[in-house]
Amino acid sequence: MSDASFLRLERLTLAYGDTPAIKDLDLSIGRGELVALLGPSGCGKTTTMRSIAGLLKPRSGKILLDGADITRMPANKRAVGLVFQSYALFPHLSVFENVAFGLRLKRIPGGELQKRVQDGLKSVGLSRFADRKPAELSGGQQQRVALARSMVMDPKVLLLDEPLSNLDARLRLEMRAELQRVQKESGITMIFVTHDQGEALALADRIVVMWDGHIEQIGTPEEIYNAPASAFVADFVGFENVFALENGHLKTPRGLVGLSSPAPVGAAGLAWRPIAVQMGLGPYQGTVRGTSFAGRTREYLLDTPLGIIKAEADATGSSYDIGEAVPFDLPIEGAARLSRFA
Amino acid sequence: MFQNRAESLALVLPATLFAAIIFIAPVLILLSEGIRPAGGWSLAPYVSFFTTPLNLTVFIRTLKLGVLVTVAAAIIGYAAALCIVNLSAKGRGRMIGLIVLPLMISPVARTYAWIVILGRTGIVNQALEALELTDGPLRILFSETAIFIGLLQLFLPLMIISLVSALENMPRDAIAAARVLGANWLQVFWKVILPLTKEGLVIGGTLVFTGSLTAYITPAILGGSKVLMLETLLYQRVTIANDFASASVIAMILIIMSFSANLLLKRLATARAKR
Amino acid sequence: MTSRILSTTILAVVMIFLIGPFFIIVAASLSAGETLAFPPQGFSFKWVLKVFEIESFRSSFVMSMMLAIFGTLAALVIGTPVSYALARYKLPLGEAIRTIVSAPIIVPGIVVGLALLRYLVIPFGFNLTLALFLAHTALVLPYAVRVVSASMANLRSDIEEAAVLLGCSRLGAFIRVVLPNIRGGILAAFILGFVTSFNQVPVSLFLSGPGIRTLPIDMLAYLETTYDPSVAALSALLAFMSIGIVFLAERFLGFSRYV
Repeated sequence: MSDASFLRLERLTLAYGDTPAIKDLDLSIGRGELVALLGPSGCGKTTTMRSIAGLLKPRSGKILLDGADITRMPANKRAVGLVFQSYALFPHLSVFENVAFGLRLKRIPGGELQKRVQDGLKSVGLSRFADRKPAELSGGQQQRVALARSMVMDPKVLLLDEPLSNLDARLRLEMRAELQRVQKESGITMIFVTHDQGEALALADRIVVMWDGHIEQIGTPEEIYNAPASAFVADFVGFENVFALENGHLKTPRGLVGLSSPAPVGAAGLAWRPIAVQMGLGPYQGTVRGTSFAGRTREYLLDTPLGIIKAEADATGSSYDIGEAVPFDLPIEGAARLSRFA
Repeated sequence: MFQNRAESLALVLPATLFAAIIFIAPVLILLSEGIRPAGGWSLAPYVSFFTTPLNLTVFIRTLKLGVLVTVAAAIIGYAAALCIVNLSAKGRGRMIGLIVLPLMISPVARTYAWIVILGRTGIVNQALEALELTDGPLRILFSETAIFIGLLQLFLPLMIISLVSALENMPRDAIAAARVLGANWLQVFWKVILPLTKEGLVIGGTLVFTGSLTAYITPAILGGSKVLMLETLLYQRVTIANDFASASVIAMILIIMSFSANLLLKRLATARAKR
Repeated sequence: MTSRILSTTILAVVMIFLIGPFFIIVAASLSAGETLAFPPQGFSFKWVLKVFEIESFRSSFVMSMMLAIFGTLAALVIGTPVSYALARYKLPLGEAIRTIVSAPIIVPGIVVGLALLRYLVIPFGFNLTLALFLAHTALVLPYAVRVVSASMANLRSDIEEAAVLLGCSRLGAFIRVVLPNIRGGILAAFILGFVTSFNQVPVSLFLSGPGIRTLPIDMLAYLETTYDPSVAALSALLAFMSIGIVFLAERFLGFSRYV
């Protein structure tokens, strides 16, 4: 067992009734990595996470953790921690007892238990709240209790379900930092599920983009952000103008359109972020259909022979009004080259 | 984690089997006696039940009392419920507590009180005599009137509670808006309150109606052996005549009425849940 | 101002109609006279005391208590798993099962009693006490399932998953995490079931025999032959018992939330 495949999913398939939720999933995660499962709802990311935890039984395939096959191992024997999206704190127990819950089941002796719970609470800054009931805490505090409750068990893998989605913007930043710190200090392997690309990019060492039950792309945040491999990933990370290539031409809703320079060899499609669309000069012509001010930039909706194009230009430069005709270009050097178009 | 079919079946099996064997099977066999008297298929028990004048009288009386009690409960219920929702939150809570309380007391005890009140030497007759309104005591006990009063007292709380919760869910400004538009109180009731609380009325009405139809204690105590309702008739047919065919017919009538009322309630509940 | 007076009058009349008879019962039971009357003839506790001397009341009270306690317990033991399963699992026949276990609420008690007598007691020689116990369990089952289901509805399923991931077995998660959180609902179901069973008449009508009678049936029988205030006294005592139970339940549980 190498550290690079501390957790391995092999051809994992899981179905609800007849509709497969994930099919033939292969994934390796290294020890101490912080990985994001990213995708829209229904893509299978939560299903994947829950099968790692043992809450769902896969139809076929294998899950290997730390060298052992845990595919059929009951959830309560796996040493996998999970921080639920709604935190799932036990409402009838105090914060202390919530954190002590798993340790008591393990029959950890009193003194050691006290110490481990207190250390756990201290590490998330909640020592003062030990005697409170979960309902008396804010959402952010509840989440930190849930984090401490999982962490005191020393799990081999910690799973987090949409860890930031229930928090407001300020708490989100705080919690993000907190998660990174906990992960650094403990060196634990962490996998979190999110539908928010910003969260995944900011937090993860590696991102697994999922769609429709399979993995679209695995890569570092930079790779995912700058070099999406498929039309789906491109669209998901903000490339608003995505085209397939056919015989060196862009395939648009209004027919094939030629490129301003030769198409790159081997690419199945090209995608541009709005900011990569060059306005003011170029071989194409569009009519401004909508415009909105976005601070440092201004966004435009252009009606063009290529269909609707989303463009973004520096707000300090020249601006265009609705109904105005504007020339523009889609420069090859600003495009992401998609190796798959599906 | 909650996908294991065997696990879920194991959880529901004991109660389901219990209800099926101890409860549903015997009742179904009993019902079958009405269409299979003496082994062969026949509707004779139904024909003979509905052609016997006494049975018919009891059947009609039961329906009549059911309707009367429901209507009276609705009228009194609206008056009381409208007063209650206008109370302060604290007063409302107390009032509802007082109204629910009788539901927890043995119906025998509650019905029995009417003997003291309605009897030959009861309070009502004493009052009537003192005011010299009647010659000699009125015979109120062991009559339909006595049963009506007893049933109304037994089931009125259910109606009031249903109406109070319907009124509480009514948009607060509806009455004020109608008043501003120039409606008088009667118009406000017909055009605003009634349409907006009709679900509560139907729920309360169904509870009162089925409760009255399937009442045993009230007719047994306040109706005596002569003024029967369906349940007391069933008891008599079995204990006096060993007439299980008639018992089966009555059981069928009671179950059909009670079942359709419950179906109606369920419809209403799901319709409301969807909104 | 007039509407205020009108409203108070209406409520007063309704409350007198609903609760007044109860006070008359109490007054009549404190009479010194030999027959039931109001206003009472004199004042004494003799009828209240007599209630405790009537042997059949004593035994039927014990019978009703036992039926109410053990019938309700049995209904909770088989009903709680149903509530749990209906809330947590996608049962293929969920609605059918809910209908089956709540059927006793639809069928009038007198029909149930007769059916049990005729097809379980007579052919299989069930003893009456057992039949009464089964009938009362069936009767309470729908209430148990309904009230416990209501308190299950507010409980998220992920706390059980959390408990399992922290090392609990499935049963352990139920005992440590589910039960403590639906305790109030179960107690409320117990009280509601107890009161329902204790006050129930029709289901027990046919399931009576020598020495085997529930208290309300015994009271009805006593009424047929005797016209003294002892039943009034007993009714008053029972009413006070019910009020006491409900008061305590409301005080400590907020009982009305569940009913």
